Amino acid sequence: MASIELDKASLTFRVRPAGRITLKEFLIRQVRRSGTPLIKVRALQEVSLSFQEGQRVGIIGPNGAGKSTLLKLLAGIYPPTRGRRHVDGRISSLFDIALGFEGDASGWENISYRGYLQGETPRSMRDKIKPIAEFSELGEFLNMPVRYYSAGMMVRLAFSIATAIEPEILLVDEVLSVGDMAFQEKARKRMREMMAKAQLIVAVSHDLHSLTKLCDRGVWLDHGRVRLVGPMSEVISAYTDSVKSGQVQAA
Amino acid sequence: MSSYMAAVWHCRYFWWSLVKMDLRTRYRRSIIGLGWSLLHPIAMTTILCFVFSNLFNATVAEYGPYLLAGLVTWNYVSGVTIQGCQCFFQGEAYIRQHPAPLAVYPLRTALGGTIHFLIALVVVLALTWYFRGFANLPSLWCLVPAITLLFVLGWSLAVLAGFANVLFQDTQHLSEIGFQILFYATPIMYMSSLLEGRGMDWLVQYNPVVSLLQLIREPILYGRVPTVQTYGTAILIVFLVASAAAATLARLQRRLIFHL
Repeated sequence: MASIELDKASLTFRVRPAGRITLKEFLIRQVRRSGTPLIKVRALQEVSLSFQEGQRVGIIGPNGAGKSTLLKLLAGIYPPTRGRRHVDGRISSLFDIALGFEGDASGWENISYRGYLQGETPRSMRDKIKPIAEFSELGEFLNMPVRYYSAGMMVRLAFSIATAIEPEILLVDEVLSVGDMAFQEKARKRMREMMAKAQLIVAVSHDLHSLTKLCDRGVWLDHGRVRLVGPMSEVISAYTDSVKSGQVQAA
Repeated sequence: MSSYMAAVWHCRYFWWSLVKMDLRTRYRRSIIGLGWSLLHPIAMTTILCFVFSNLFNATVAEYGPYLLAGLVTWNYVSGVTIQGCQCFFQGEAYIRQHPAPLAVYPLRTALGGTIHFLIALVVVLALTWYFRGFANLPSLWCLVPAITLLFVLGWSLAVLAGFANVLFQDTQHLSEIGFQILFYATPIMYMSSLLEGRGMDWLVQYNPVVSLLQLIREPILYGRVPTVQTYGTAILIVFLVASAAAATLARLQRRLIFHL
């Protein structure tokens, strides 16, 4: 049974104004007792959500509302700084997928690395590596080190790998705009197939139109808090109403 | 602890394939590339042999293998630590995508270093065999526990260096300086007997690296099984460093992502 549960989960980033520090600076500050205070960013505040198998959840909200952070919290990348996260099921996440190729290794090799990271074995990869290569349509380029790939080629490869597995829980962060037009059409179709297979989906997008089609439940996030949970269409209309009235007020 | 190790083992295909890639890049898929990467210790040994065998009144047969065995072991320990500083940044993209146990990234560094160390050891053995032969061949079995200990040490050092460098960005710089100083305080270029009777015995007695060097040197150069005391000291050092690494992992494993 795939399920996700957040119980009053909060996530607070403590950000140093000047990025990473050196040991030298750290020691000087300790001696002088004059540290610059850390900036606290409350990315998520007391988020309680519960999703069961079979649900397709769309998360909406303005920029900086904490949508992507919530997805990463669900994926286990960020631990909650308060509260509890409980996830049952094998998670596959589609975000930051274009990052982290090994530049010196060929496309083929990178397919294996990513596959292994997602829990594949050499045996299970044997059947998957060819379909992945075919889907990416990169052909001869796969023999080439990835550092010579264009950005579009990397996204193609990343998308093909990430969507080759059959997850129980699928977390998606706006990856639908991948590659050129022909590939985008293919990618959309692949996404629909994948969503049909996954037992539980959580998707983040600004494309409200496609979310209405894809999802049955909606979550509206605002400033790290849950504003509304309910059927997707209701949440979207509440959200668009508020955005419109905000614009009216601003005008 | 054991469940953590099981999780590391679970993604073995991932880190092992990265180790293989690192080695391929390092050796550029060729024997010449392999020789190239061994150039540093061999060139150092040649030049130091030339200079110091006169200075120390030692023959090349005596001094050469001694020096190379020391250098190779030293390069492993310092190399794993200094490269370990980058291990989490190297794996940052993976860390941001997938919650794999963080120890796999220092493991990648340590395994690469260990394999390179093993290749270098073969050169040490060949050189020793050429110059003086092996006094007692079965004693070479002592290298197995020695290499195991060095591997655990290397993994732990890479964990510590990796975390330290994420928290403080001058870690690599500082450890390079530290290792440079320690290098001259350690009997690598000179025989430890040189310090005895000059009021500098303490330098060898309290140097943590000496017992590790002896684990490698004793069986190869003199055909001797290292003493219980040597083993005891080495095991204690490795245990302490490994405990520090485990404690750091337990404390910071979940928080690292906030500092990357």
